[in-house]
Amino acid sequence: MSLELIRDILVATVPLLLIFPTLFAFTTWLERKALARIQNRIGPNKVGVPLTRYGGRFSLFGLGQPMADGIKMLFKENIVPRDADRLFHLLAPILALIPAMLVLCFLPIDFPWINNIQDSVKAFMLDGAVIFFFAITGLNTLAVFMAGWASRNKYSLLGGMRAIAQMVSYEIPLVLSAVIVVMMVGSLNAAEIANAQAGWNWFIFTPWGLAAFIIFFIAALAETNRSPFDLPEAESEIIAGYFTEYSGFKFALFFLGEYIAMFAISGLAVTLFLGGGAGPGVAALPWLSVIWFLVKIFALIAVMIWLRGTLPRLRVDQLMGFAWKFLLPLSILNIFIAGSALHLLAGGRLAGLDEKQPILRQLMEGANPLVVAGLWIGALLILYVAANGLNQLSRAKVRPREYKYAE
Amino acid sequence: MSEQIAFWILSAIAVLGALVAVRKRNLIHGVFALMIFFAALSGLFLLLLAEFIAAVQILVYIGAVGILLLFAIMLTERVAGDDGRRMTSRGWFWGLVVAAAVFVVLLLPAIQQWPTPEVTQAPDPSVEELGHKLMNPYVMTLEVLALLLTAALIGAVTAAQGMRKPKEEGSPE
Amino acid sequence: MSLLGGGIFKGMAVTLRNFVGSYFYKDRLTTNDYSWRPSDKLPQHAGEYPKEEGEQLRDTTTVTNYSRNFPMLLHDGSEPMDTIRCVACQICERECPPQCIYIEKSTEKKENAGGKPQFYPAKFDIDVSVCMSCQICVEVCPFDAIVMNSQFELSTPDRFGGLLLRRDDLLKSNDYYHNIHPEEAAARDKRIAEEKAAKEAKKKAAAEAARKKAEEKAKADAEASEGTPDIQEDAE
Repeated sequence: MSLELIRDILVATVPLLLIFPTLFAFTTWLERKALARIQNRIGPNKVGVPLTRYGGRFSLFGLGQPMADGIKMLFKENIVPRDADRLFHLLAPILALIPAMLVLCFLPIDFPWINNIQDSVKAFMLDGAVIFFFAITGLNTLAVFMAGWASRNKYSLLGGMRAIAQMVSYEIPLVLSAVIVVMMVGSLNAAEIANAQAGWNWFIFTPWGLAAFIIFFIAALAETNRSPFDLPEAESEIIAGYFTEYSGFKFALFFLGEYIAMFAISGLAVTLFLGGGAGPGVAALPWLSVIWFLVKIFALIAVMIWLRGTLPRLRVDQLMGFAWKFLLPLSILNIFIAGSALHLLAGGRLAGLDEKQPILRQLMEGANPLVVAGLWIGALLILYVAANGLNQLSRAKVRPREYKYAE
Repeated sequence: MSEQIAFWILSAIAVLGALVAVRKRNLIHGVFALMIFFAALSGLFLLLLAEFIAAVQILVYIGAVGILLLFAIMLTERVAGDDGRRMTSRGWFWGLVVAAAVFVVLLLPAIQQWPTPEVTQAPDPSVEELGHKLMNPYVMTLEVLALLLTAALIGAVTAAQGMRKPKEEGSPE
Repeated sequence: MSLLGGGIFKGMAVTLRNFVGSYFYKDRLTTNDYSWRPSDKLPQHAGEYPKEEGEQLRDTTTVTNYSRNFPMLLHDGSEPMDTIRCVACQICERECPPQCIYIEKSTEKKENAGGKPQFYPAKFDIDVSVCMSCQICVEVCPFDAIVMNSQFELSTPDRFGGLLLRRDDLLKSNDYYHNIHPEEAAARDKRIAEEKAAKEAKKKAAAEAARKKAEEKAKADAEASEGTPDIQEDAE
């Protein structure tokens, strides 16, 4: 193994391992602040520059809070229940973090230093990067189950069971909505998908892309156990589920893993639907693409936080019904719509396309604007009507609740 | 050189994982050992530059089969399975014989130096080639398989629903 | 037919209004930032908000008349143990969902505020760390002896002893109750007085009826001029 290869591997991986945990710390602060403001509170505002008493004037809006939390977590007692499976109890948080960290390397972020290293080290250049992403995020389920089972606690086990059922169910709409993008690009390569959306050709600006993005985002919320799909870690129902028996740094690792998974899946959403690093000014200044990528990730995370502050938690039957009776049929219909739309756009020249170029862009060249507009409106209409119908069908048959005091 | 090292490490992990999966009395431990074996196998596929197969190995075997096993175990009683029952069955001798026979049969071509068919073209395990193969010559097979799996899925759902009906009629709640 | 998913956007608009509004409008950020102060300058009860020099405070106080946090035991007069209302019946101990109340009944009786000899709690402990402020003890108490306090500064550096409140910590006068929850206390006092009056009226009526009955009986007895063995019973 040559020294250059080792250097390249380090250059490719170490920045990821530094940047995202730092962003994680910042995000916890952001989330607490935003939720507090949503609930008419102030949020963390005390911890600032260390060693100044009470932070005082140097509290910096409580930006020191994540650091203080980390130190607190490190010094906390590590409690393992007497009947717990000690090995699995230890392994679960590690297993939760590894896949989340691993998939970060499939995000096509063009860090400036990444241009100098050889292609074989760039994981996102893999031809099957998108499939790999889904395969490895699926491992998260195992960690959750491991934690739930190893704790020997009924609430943990319930949380683990809920997590498996939820993640397995929502993985299907997640993958099916990513298929739309693969159809439009004709490649599973993350970098190619991002390049296909250069300029303003983001896939969210196509009707099926928009629908797929919404489905993807909802399923991503469920995959990362974010509110309103946070049933596996419902504090008020099963006292934090599989987290129940975790304390100290093991808990912190779980937390870190969860947030890194949030970054990763948001990053995939950005890659698939929001144009990757595309944005104004990228053509002139290539390093801006990194900024745009991270800004888009943070925009998605802000929406996640916003939703968490807004929506109440689903019931278990609603959760399952939503995945199987609403999202799944809708995403399959969406694939049909995207396929037929591509055929209509092509008008018989689908076979003569250049394989190395994104399919949708080739089809859009020289397409009749009227046909395109008609397709757009028709597809949106069909999707909306279908979603409405599915919504009516998949609703549980219950009487509307009668409120005594509200309204 | 580095491939050699990676190969031996992955193989050792795979063999150890498989052994633990077979020998472990604790069912959950066994399932996780099996998953370690699958993961190591996926790594071996990666070494052969078959990245699609590697991804599918993780996706299907760990993500689906493993989870299914866990579900099945969770739905049965005595989850831990830590009882003192003997693991080796009484037919261990014949089992050993059959295993040895299979091993010998597998090695026969190497021992006898049978003429292997000439390799005219190096196999290309890339995703692109796989996609072309799946969508052109094998598209019918793929569709039939998909149909079969869908039928199995629907059959399973109907079977599960059919079992509930007589109970509802029999015992009005 | 409303827009699909419109409810979500409606909710998100509400939270967004709260989020943005909290930076501009005082009524959207009701929290007062008081925790920089030394502990003796902290507000403890409704309406009590010691202002420091030059401190800008909002109109709202952190504790309103309707806040309920933790139970307290009521006594009527000045000397707590002489006028304690609790008779150690232990109903609240049994009803408490998280089982955070511990009562030990006294061995001898003692006169309470009403002048009746009653048992009293020799020990009455509530574990702050367990109590969930459900107010069920208040609901079930037949003697109006336990009510909710609005004190919220219960944190303590002592993890074990400090979180277990003893009887003497819990005892608060009725005046204090009137001070923190005026409406509720007035209503409660009114009800107690009414019940007492009703009881006395009933007693009076019963006594009157008994007296009348006895008189009639006596009359009838005098008329019959033959004594019966159940006179005594009737007289009772």
